[in-house]
Amino acid sequence: MAHETHDANTHTKQLPRELGAPEFVNGWQRSALVVGLVCMVVAAGLGFADGRGFDVDHVLRAWLLGLMLTFGFAVGGLALLMVQYVSGGKWGLLLRRPLEAMSRTLPLVFIYWLVIALSLKKLYLWAAVTDVSAALKSGWINEVQAHAIEFKRPMLNTGAFVWVSLACFAIWGFYTWRLNALSLKRDEETLATTPEWIKRMENISGPGIVIYAITMSAAAIYWVMSLDPTWYSSVYGLLFLVGQAYQVLAFSIIVVISLSKGEPFKTILRQTEQHDLGSFTFAFVMLNIYLAFSQFLIIWSGNLPEEIPWYLDRVTGGWGVIITLDFIFHWLIPFTLLLSRDLKRNKKRLVLVCQWMVFAKAFDLFWLIEPNFKDAARNLHFSWGILEYAAVPAAMTAFWVAYFCMQLKARPLVQTNDPHLAEILEAEHAHA
Amino acid sequence: MAAREGIYGLLAEFDTPGDLIRAALQARKDGWRRMDCYTPYPVEEAAEAIGFHRNKVPLITLIGGVMGLAAMFLFQVWVSVWAYPLNIGGRPLYSWPAFIVPAYEWTILFAGLSAAFGMLALNGLPALYHPLFNAPNFRDGATTDKFFLCLEALDPKFDLAEAKKYLVSFEPVSVVEVEY
Repeated sequence: MAHETHDANTHTKQLPRELGAPEFVNGWQRSALVVGLVCMVVAAGLGFADGRGFDVDHVLRAWLLGLMLTFGFAVGGLALLMVQYVSGGKWGLLLRRPLEAMSRTLPLVFIYWLVIALSLKKLYLWAAVTDVSAALKSGWINEVQAHAIEFKRPMLNTGAFVWVSLACFAIWGFYTWRLNALSLKRDEETLATTPEWIKRMENISGPGIVIYAITMSAAAIYWVMSLDPTWYSSVYGLLFLVGQAYQVLAFSIIVVISLSKGEPFKTILRQTEQHDLGSFTFAFVMLNIYLAFSQFLIIWSGNLPEEIPWYLDRVTGGWGVIITLDFIFHWLIPFTLLLSRDLKRNKKRLVLVCQWMVFAKAFDLFWLIEPNFKDAARNLHFSWGILEYAAVPAAMTAFWVAYFCMQLKARPLVQTNDPHLAEILEAEHAHA
Repeated sequence: MAAREGIYGLLAEFDTPGDLIRAALQARKDGWRRMDCYTPYPVEEAAEAIGFHRNKVPLITLIGGVMGLAAMFLFQVWVSVWAYPLNIGGRPLYSWPAFIVPAYEWTILFAGLSAAFGMLALNGLPALYHPLFNAPNFRDGATTDKFFLCLEALDPKFDLAEAKKYLVSFEPVSVVEVEY
């Protein structure tokens, strides 16, 4: 078995003087913009492809997917940042600044959300149906839907949707601003202040995590679950919460390993922490399938007419293929690969698995979103519109990545006022 | 096997894991193979330093896990479909979603037991006798605060005088001969 040379064993590394983002981040930003523009053109072309005017419906559905994905990165990044402040650990030194940059992309996510908020009637049945009895009489909705829409009206109405979402954005914005501002201020002060800062960040983040869990659940329920007004699941918010950790960790690993081609991450990224991050991601792969399967098992066992149609919409009529692939993409592949210790220690392969996981997350969102609509439920069929699910989220995510790169360049990549800095600069065999 | 006699090896005692690992790395580099490190707590670098190679425990664990999965899943299929078919709320006899949870539990159970017993089977534990316990400083220090490197007499490079000189060059606290 090949071993690296251990000669440099006892030496401590020096933190490079220049802590800004390396030059090649500009390159990432440019490529992301190009990819975004190309996908945008493709998406526009696909909108007209079936020759019946612009297919607004599918573009909006795909837009919702793009929103949920980028929202997951931005607000999930904020949440993981708070988890890091509460838990501590050396991995925080690697992830803190990338996570901060992710959280600062919230304005772009808000713009994405505005598009949804302005087209509620096109997406949400409860918003489109204003006169329930007339809609029932005309055969547009069935009795179950009529009952659900009427019963849930106090919650599912345009005003509540907008105000709850705005309140959530305000809360996430507050935490983003607070944590980002304090983090810079912390760096200006001396190491003697570190214990105080750790306490301070903890005290903000602890309640922040609870508030995040509540607001994020509200957003997931309003934005995605309410697409089908008849259905509910108490684990839905938690599913999105774990899903966000899943995609945020995968994306963070990609960022950290890609950054390690240049300083300062070349110096501070050690195999030990890379391995730890891989294991951390593995835990969320497990938790994700645990929750998804529990929800399925409980609803399948209950077999109640209020709950089971949601799964029937997504399993029958060709959707069985998609849910099987979802299971393989979303769980089986990352699970089996991340079991391997060698893979977690191999930069190139770990990045490949993480890229795959981001794709799998988008695929899972497709399975969650598309069958909510009457033309697609229990009837998976090809249309030009369905390809929007690839083009629109790709464009939105690419623009998001460009914006993320901009934020990443905005501040030094390493927090210097941190007790772990000395440890992470030690050679790999720190005990030795 | 005939009772062994004579020297089992030379035992060098160190105060810090760093000293131990530097010595072990150098010894491996110089061609020593029959040697072992002994530390009071797991020092992963020590295993790497003496050229720790892969073993079959992961494979045994995998096989155990797959066996547990198959056994429990098939057991439930057998009970529900052939041995004692029951109509439960009109669900099909072969209700695989309900079988997943016990099958999963057995996967973990079998994998865990296979890992534990596979490890014991391959590493020769429990051992009722080990010559190193003949060395008083090993008995006192190996489980508290000392770090040991043992060059074993079975190594073809082993020559008592030469090996002793070699170990002393690492400036250990002591070097003692250990008998079988």
